Amino acid sequence: MARLISVHSFRGGTGKSNTTANIALLLAQQGRQVGVVDLDIQSPGIHVIFGFDQDRSMSHSLNDYLWGTCELRAAAHDVTPGANGGPAGRIWLVPSSIRPMDIARVMQEGYDVNRLNEGLRALIDALSLDVLLLDTHPGINEETLLSIAMSNILVIVLRPDEQDYEGTRVTVEVARRLGVPRMLLVVNKAPDVFDRKAIAQQVEQIYSCPVAAVLPHSEDLMVLSSSGVFAGRYPDHPLTALYRDIAAQLG
Amino acid sequence: MVLSKTVSDAGHAPVIAEHGLRALELLGATDEPPVDVILLDLEMPELDGYETLARLKGDERFRHLPVIVISAVDDLASVVRCIEIGATDYLPKPFNAALLRARLNASLAEKRLADLRLEYLEQVARVVDAAAAVEAGSFESASLEAVAARTDALGQLARVFQRMAREVAERERRLEAQVQQLRIQIDEARADRKIAEITETEYFRDLQRRAASLRIDADSDGLG
Repeated sequence: MARLISVHSFRGGTGKSNTTANIALLLAQQGRQVGVVDLDIQSPGIHVIFGFDQDRSMSHSLNDYLWGTCELRAAAHDVTPGANGGPAGRIWLVPSSIRPMDIARVMQEGYDVNRLNEGLRALIDALSLDVLLLDTHPGINEETLLSIAMSNILVIVLRPDEQDYEGTRVTVEVARRLGVPRMLLVVNKAPDVFDRKAIAQQVEQIYSCPVAAVLPHSEDLMVLSSSGVFAGRYPDHPLTALYRDIAAQLG
Repeated sequence: MVLSKTVSDAGHAPVIAEHGLRALELLGATDEPPVDVILLDLEMPELDGYETLARLKGDERFRHLPVIVISAVDDLASVVRCIEIGATDYLPKPFNAALLRARLNASLAEKRLADLRLEYLEQVARVVDAAAAVEAGSFESASLEAVAARTDALGQLARVFQRMAREVAERERRLEAQVQQLRIQIDEARADRKIAEITETEYFRDLQRRAASLRIDADSDGLG
């Protein structure tokens, strides 16, 4: 059976989309059929990491589905990198529209959250997905609460700083009350001066929740910026090994 | 003994050895050689001057000591041989007291200069060792005290080095303390308020009721 995994963070800039993209690629490399839905409708971005050009390649977006003008399957685009030597599985991306009018309309009118749930189920069936990753909007609002509620696994990405610690406390508690079956924490952008094992132990203790990985702040990732999936570009990098650990815990 | 008196008269303190072996004994008896310059006769019992000179120059501890050879053997071949072995100077017997004083003073001046050079090189080596110690994390500031006391550029280098090493060590201590202090501080009351704001809404309660039915029935074995 498929599983739905939300990747969430309480604040922006935690590296949530990058983490999602890397997990997607590594799961696809294991032969999984992976769907990725950009639920950050207000500030879409994960399509850039997959090198997906909305102007040239996009027929439909998540927005079209939410407005009832297409099936969600029609908004799913194959973004699996490298036809030859690429992963055994495939990555299907449902992008959110970056057109300002589309973003404004969603913000103004909202959308039928039940329709989203139905669409995701249909997408899993239509593409025989093993895993469906939701790249959520940071923070907690009705849409992110829905994503969390629907999740079989919730991955919370946080940086080791006070604001994220407090926000993560809120998210973890809210997810518990929604009965999310499984939660994993990913501590990202940990400065080199911190002992990563010590961080993992403390974070696990404070939230009573397993830490999937503590990822160091990476200059290499910064340099790559959003122009590619790190694990694809640097398969032997230590950071990729850590992403692989996370993927293994989700697969 | 005339020689000894001339040396004393010149304001120096002579140490007398009866022959070469005795001289080597005296020199080796202390950590530092007890003399600054050696006046060496070539014709001696036990160990002659050539062999004594050769042993002095072959020994790391005594190599830097100036040796003035004084002997009745005044043929040119002997002089050349002694200079080749490492003698600093050569005076024929009977010696001229004024010439001896002049040669003695010149040798002493040279010895002092050599000592300074040697000390300088040793202290440069200490700074080099200090750099390696910093890399290895075993640097002790006190190891550079003697070098730092110099008034020249090397002294300044040592002082700057000590200061920088202190600053680096201080920064590392602060960072270590920071790691120790990586205690996760959460304002529980504020977090609780935020949680309440979210969970006490009608939307949340409704979602809570429907959550289980919204979730895909994933295989239970993988979801711990």
